[in-house]
Amino acid sequence: MARLRNVSSMSGRKRIGDILATIAVAAIVAFSIFPIAWTLLVSLKPEEDIVTATMSYIPRRVTFENYIAIWTRSNFPILIGNSAVVTTITVALCTIVGTLASYAVTRFRFAGRRRLMMFYLVVRMFPAVMIIIPLFVIMRGFGLLDSRLGLALAYATFLLPVFIWMMKGFFEAVPADLEDAARIDGASRLGAMVRVVLPLVVGGLVATAVFIAIGAWNEFLFALMLTTSTGSRTWPVGLQLMVGEFQLPWGSLAAGGIISILPVMMLFAIVQRSMVRGLTAGAVKS
Amino acid sequence: MDGVALNPAPKAAPLRRLADAVGDISESRYWAWYLLAPSLVLICAVVLYPTLWGIGLSFREMRLNRLDLGTGFVGLKHYQAMLDDPVFWLSLRNTIVWTTGAVIGELALGLAAALLINRDLPGFRLASVLILLPWFLPNVVAGHMWALMLDPRLGVINDLLVKAGLLTGYKAWFADPDTALASALVVEIWHGFPFFALLLLAGLKAIPQDLYEAAAIDGAGAVRQFRHVTLPQLNTIIVAAVVLRVISLVNSPDIILILTGGGPGRSTLVLSLHAFLKVNKEFNFGAGSAIAVLLFILLMAFSYLYVRLSNVMKD
Repeated sequence: MARLRNVSSMSGRKRIGDILATIAVAAIVAFSIFPIAWTLLVSLKPEEDIVTATMSYIPRRVTFENYIAIWTRSNFPILIGNSAVVTTITVALCTIVGTLASYAVTRFRFAGRRRLMMFYLVVRMFPAVMIIIPLFVIMRGFGLLDSRLGLALAYATFLLPVFIWMMKGFFEAVPADLEDAARIDGASRLGAMVRVVLPLVVGGLVATAVFIAIGAWNEFLFALMLTTSTGSRTWPVGLQLMVGEFQLPWGSLAAGGIISILPVMMLFAIVQRSMVRGLTAGAVKS
Repeated sequence: MDGVALNPAPKAAPLRRLADAVGDISESRYWAWYLLAPSLVLICAVVLYPTLWGIGLSFREMRLNRLDLGTGFVGLKHYQAMLDDPVFWLSLRNTIVWTTGAVIGELALGLAAALLINRDLPGFRLASVLILLPWFLPNVVAGHMWALMLDPRLGVINDLLVKAGLLTGYKAWFADPDTALASALVVEIWHGFPFFALLLLAGLKAIPQDLYEAAAIDGAGAVRQFRHVTLPQLNTIIVAAVVLRVISLVNSPDIILILTGGGPGRSTLVLSLHAFLKVNKEFNFGAGSAIAVLLFILLMAFSYLYVRLSNVMKD
């Protein structure tokens, strides 16, 4: 009897613990997504509902005029286009160069292999401001300043090492036996890599590329320093420059923010599982 | 006729021939290095070369708005000026407050989130995805979202605090030197805690369950299990996460630049922003480089010491 009561109080305590945990998790989730939800609400409000003496939580009238305004009455489409070009170049660069490097450090045992991985890691620790200042001068010399290619090259400074570290985890998960079998069947090293290994890491490759794409799409400081005209300026810089000194176009800003984070959210939703796996492998095994 | 018959691989497949040629090269002893070469070239071109350039620049004069000053060697002039400047010391202090505050806050909230979500209740998988979202939002959007929410006239946070009776009137959080840095910290913690939650959750899932069973048999309660099983098992991850986070916090002026620009006064000026403004506002590349080089040395020393100390504690 005593024992039975003990068990039921144990499970009762567990249930209380579960309820408390659920409440706490709900609070953390609310903290995480409230700013995003609030921005969405603001973007759907007419101006007089945003700049108002009494706070209105739910829009009294849902409108898309903020979206129309930022898309048609500013150079936002050009900025988004520039960002898309820069992101594409960055992803292409990192995917080609990074996949080769990551495969090499995973598959081959050569002298200095561990030191090379440390080198990639240390490169990622270089302060952005330390690189930006000389990069500005050098790129001006090469005519790469204020160009989308120059910006993409700059992004490779911090994204390529992340790419190599993340992909390493995915390559390590492929058994070496498979490759050996292909080689016995007469495939060259290149053939084994392209036909056997790459198809097996495609999921991880996509997730890593998406992570790189998000990083390039969101980047702000390099773009602020290395671009000067609408010919190459990316959307984060454009959005920042729209913030006037006195009059803040909150509705348009919110709409611009929602438009720009939409692709990030969708890509993240699609590759979320494998991206999280790659990120943890890349960060923890260092 | 004979010529054609003797040549069974006509021009039709140049790609195929290229693949065969590279396939042959791939059998060479240096294949790994051929694969690594593009990444090494790229990194040398966009990281190492600029870095050396930047170190050199910190000993020279270079002002884009005062080209008459030339680009001569000035020795330690910029470093001397930096150390004599009270703004440098203030921004060093701000950097330390900012970084420690953010790392402690993010680690605490991230650990709490990871421990809670690790319980595997219904809906918690979705929650673990939702709490990651802030980390994937760009600084610019995150900064302006929070600036609007903390706005002294239109801010929803002021409204909520007043309604809850915690505040008597709307407050200009970023205009007051006493609250500006703390407000920016709230934004930063919101933005950065998912990183810790992600890594720590992965670490928690990797802890063998029998360690807890053994501890329970030895009579350890929840608190002692946490101290003697969970924390030691998470040690490596915490070290890695803290080092990576400190580096990016010290390096990146983004969120402060967007929220306050270093003000009011210089109450939120951190070193990375100080260096950035030297370049972007004063066009003083030499002085900016000197601050950046010092930043780099400090970071390398920190990473080295922290990893060393954590290894010592583990033994």
